[in-house]
Amino acid sequence: MKEWFIKLSISKKLTLIAGLLGVLALFIENTSNKNVIDVNAKEMALSTIRNRDRIDPVILADWLIKENSDFTLVDLRSEKEFSEYNIPTSVNIPIENVLASDLMRNQKILLYGNDDVTSAQAWFILRSSNYKAIYILKGGMNGWKKEILFPTLAVNATSEFEKIKQISLHFGGTPQLASAEQSTTSAAIVKPNLPSLPKLTVPAGGKAVKKKKEGC
Amino acid sequence: MMPYFKFDYFGFDFSLVIAFVIGIGFGFALERGGFGNARILAAQFYFYNMRVLKVMFTAIVTAMLGLFYFSWIGWLDLSLVYIGDTYILPQIIGGLLLGMGFVIGGYCPGTSVVSASTGRTDGMIYLLGIFFGVFVFGEMFPLLEGFYNSTNMGRVTLPEFLGLSHGMIVFLVVAMALGAFAAAEWGEKVLAKKNGRGVE
Repeated sequence: MKEWFIKLSISKKLTLIAGLLGVLALFIENTSNKNVIDVNAKEMALSTIRNRDRIDPVILADWLIKENSDFTLVDLRSEKEFSEYNIPTSVNIPIENVLASDLMRNQKILLYGNDDVTSAQAWFILRSSNYKAIYILKGGMNGWKKEILFPTLAVNATSEFEKIKQISLHFGGTPQLASAEQSTTSAAIVKPNLPSLPKLTVPAGGKAVKKKKEGC
Repeated sequence: MMPYFKFDYFGFDFSLVIAFVIGIGFGFALERGGFGNARILAAQFYFYNMRVLKVMFTAIVTAMLGLFYFSWIGWLDLSLVYIGDTYILPQIIGGLLLGMGFVIGGYCPGTSVVSASTGRTDGMIYLLGIFFGVFVFGEMFPLLEGFYNSTNMGRVTLPEFLGLSHGMIVFLVVAMALGAFAAAEWGEKVLAKKNGRGVE
């Protein structure tokens, strides 16, 4: 280091360093643009191919029955739809608010919308913003209704079907017998008369995501 | 990647331990900077001892350069750093109130704790005053709530508000700080002569 620099008093040295860093900052591009992000496209493409990010409604039902709570279930639909019916333990974060929410980047997050489209969009938004563990409920709410709430069972139900029936009843669903539907007239098949959705026992939302405290 | 808390490197409970350690460090630095002494703090408002300006501006510039370069290098995600919302009118009024209390009592809330913990009676009484004020504010809150939540501008930062680049703001603040340091040094000498006081 040059001799003149060593001779300076400590406060003058610090002043000089601060001044240099300040001038250098002028030439640095904007670092605060949070809306432009780097995406590892290949990694994301690979994880879609492998289908590892999709969870079957039956598996989710199993987790819920076992009260497995290492994941956060996120309902991406509108508040109105959410308040009509939601999967137990889910929290409502409409897709437009998903980045501004309190979700943590290391949290295991399971998304569902009405179908797979909304959740796939949210999956992309979150994955590209560095959220690590994002999963999609296969079929979304429609899949949940079809497989869990109103499953169609064969009349001569084997033990496997019996299990599905029990799961469905656990969530307040109404299993339907296949033969009954087949015997009805064609008009009924065009618009299947689905039984009403189970009533929400817990106030909408169940337990909210614990918000990390911040600020002073 | 920072901020560690947001990336869940530790939970809420452990964050309190970290806050405690940082708080002790902060208090220690304030005390060593002479901020446990009401005379030094109040002198700032009469311009014959500019220590508060120098220390605070140094802290601001150090933290700003640190955050700016950390985020440039990629160690820190600035968009995740908490910034409170701006409520312009209530915050102006609150700032004026805090300033008045600062001149009258000789402390700001943080430094009063430093002063009290070093055994100064005025610091302890100031602390009691803070708790009394918090209590009164809490009891009056239903009356104040409308104003308290008024003129919300959301999350505003200087680069967005002024439409300048982040680096430009950093440069301007550093330039302002260095100018203020030079002016403070010069002012202290002039005023010390005029008032017949030494720089404490």
